[in-house]
Amino acid sequence: MAVCTGCSLLCEDIELTLKTGAISQVKNLCRKGHGHFQALFTERIVPKIDGQEVSVDQAITKAVDILRNAKHPLLYGWSNSALEAQRVGIDLGKKLGATIDDTSSFCQGILMELVLTGKLPTCTLDDVRNFADTSVFWGADPSNSHPRLLSRFAYYPRGSKRQKSYEEERNCLVVDVRKSATAKLCSNYFRVPPGGDADFIASVIDVLDGKIPKYGDKKRMIDLGTILRKTEYGVIFPGVGLVYALQDKIELLKTLVAKLNEITTFKVVPMVEHYNMRGFNQLLLDDSGSINRVSFHSGQVTHGPENSIMAAAKICDAALVIGSDPLSSLPFGTAKSLAGVSLIAIDPRRSLTTDAAQVVIPSAMYGLEAGGSAIRMDGVRIEFEPIVKSDLLSDEQILARIKEEI
Amino acid sequence: MVGAMEIYKLLPTDACKECGYSSCMALAVALLNREKKLEDCPALLNPKYADKFKKLKELLAPLEKASETGLIIHPEKCFGCGNCVVACPVNVAAEPTRCGIGLGPQGDRVILAVEDGVVKCMNVKECRRFGPNKVMCNACTVTCPSKAIEFV
Amino acid sequence: MQVVVTVVTFRDIFQNEAEKKSRYSEDYRKLSAQITLDKQDMAGLGVKDGQNVLVKNDVGSVVVAVKASEDDSHPGLAFMVNSPWSNQLVRDDVCETNIPGFKGISAQVSPSGESVTQISELFQRMKAQGA
Repeated sequence: MAVCTGCSLLCEDIELTLKTGAISQVKNLCRKGHGHFQALFTERIVPKIDGQEVSVDQAITKAVDILRNAKHPLLYGWSNSALEAQRVGIDLGKKLGATIDDTSSFCQGILMELVLTGKLPTCTLDDVRNFADTSVFWGADPSNSHPRLLSRFAYYPRGSKRQKSYEEERNCLVVDVRKSATAKLCSNYFRVPPGGDADFIASVIDVLDGKIPKYGDKKRMIDLGTILRKTEYGVIFPGVGLVYALQDKIELLKTLVAKLNEITTFKVVPMVEHYNMRGFNQLLLDDSGSINRVSFHSGQVTHGPENSIMAAAKICDAALVIGSDPLSSLPFGTAKSLAGVSLIAIDPRRSLTTDAAQVVIPSAMYGLEAGGSAIRMDGVRIEFEPIVKSDLLSDEQILARIKEEI
Repeated sequence: MVGAMEIYKLLPTDACKECGYSSCMALAVALLNREKKLEDCPALLNPKYADKFKKLKELLAPLEKASETGLIIHPEKCFGCGNCVVACPVNVAAEPTRCGIGLGPQGDRVILAVEDGVVKCMNVKECRRFGPNKVMCNACTVTCPSKAIEFV
Repeated sequence: MQVVVTVVTFRDIFQNEAEKKSRYSEDYRKLSAQITLDKQDMAGLGVKDGQNVLVKNDVGSVVVAVKASEDDSHPGLAFMVNSPWSNQLVRDDVCETNIPGFKGISAQVSPSGESVTQISELFQRMKAQGA
């Protein structure tokens, strides 16, 4: 039995047969997870300095050199590393007086902060399976991003209080700008125009207050109000679509959830993309009081948008990127800033970021070549063991060596 | 998917009854259910129907890939999400503590399981759509996000 | 000929699978360098499914292939899967929360005779301007 680190569902029921150089007859992995497991055999990298192959020891020494001489080092990535590596990474940040940020900074961060600080009520995915009769996917398409969320927890399984499941006892609502694969499956789909989510929230609050909604189809909004009122245990799964649409108006979601909780029970579980983003956010929060965007410069702990990857990329003079490919996933302006600094990339596989890096340090793939633990999207801690033997160092080992040499 | 009407329109529609059915429409339904072959219609073998025979062959070709219950899987479209695995009543009855609560099956009595990232079909005779007392269950197709499972 | 669209990015499991196999593969490029347009916008541009278009704004530009939308009518709204191609068009200096506008990118679309932008070209742009 293996754990899949392909997304933040961390599915634990994966069975496989190992042969030399191949993983075959893998049971229960979705298409996305299957791709993740096959990634073990493609685009693997070797240690490099300035494009020349070197030993791991030389690459680590060079990385230490760069970080030690940097005035404003940035440590970024983290959501694809185990908790044990993240712990060492935060300590390294303190030792260096670095800025540290993770991928939540440009996706679920503002929402995750509300959940982790108790400002939004939340629950586990097992609670969703056992109790939820209404799941709302908002600006999220789990069929593509978290393929087994509907089958394992949110819609199709039987739960202790939901024996009749999707056929009679569960609603699945989708609010999205596009009719996604999930929207086609759900019981009720509500289309919003781009950026129209704030108006949609206002309308839902209106119907819950018994007023005529200002926006949207009045009859459908009133029907939605009825579904929400009749719900015994509801869960909202906000995706990046909702976060991007609301931005600094994220408080509106808080208002809506508070209003729903006056009537019935409603929880929020953010649709975390990478398998251990929540783990990093929790560790950094416990340590520094903030979930991301922290600077340890001059021994002071500060937090704010000036420490976000977007801002820090423009002012840092060296960056260590771990388990992430910001050159692919971030806006062009940020990507080109990062491409211009002394870049250290720690990654199991080749990416635009490793291509641009001055120092490349290959790492073991967590869940496949290295064991550890991670926090699932709902806050549950999951342990995993390696399933294949590897001589590669884990993120934790690489970071520990860098920290020790500094 | 192919409908009985589409098949009927390409048949000779002379109601000769030589196939054993009382009407060409009944034969069309039988062809759709794969209980009869095109060759069971003698009139259709007449050269003047050669065009129609060819078209019917093409029309019915996808049905040949279907399992005995009429189930067709398009692995290239499948997300491997397991919705069908968990929704299938036979799977749930076979493994209530696995498929019933959203996990992949462990035993070999299920009909649907995800392997190598896509759904696979086995034990088709256990499907509720099989045999004389069949039920028109469609739990696996209505829960599919990508039309990777169809019934003919 | 040109139409102005709002581009919304999204996730696609097949593109994600291709990325896990190789970011440098033909499969990944095909599934990433693509824009889903409404039929009305396609008619306005005189382009068919599979033809190439230039998508540009004041941040950057890319040549991608057109995919005809199968969704209900949505003129003026276009979709691109999240990738280094769509990120060429995303501003990184938008609002005080410092979250880039991945959803709701304003861009102009016009027919293009050029071939689809390669990932190596995108990389060169980052390196050239980063230096």
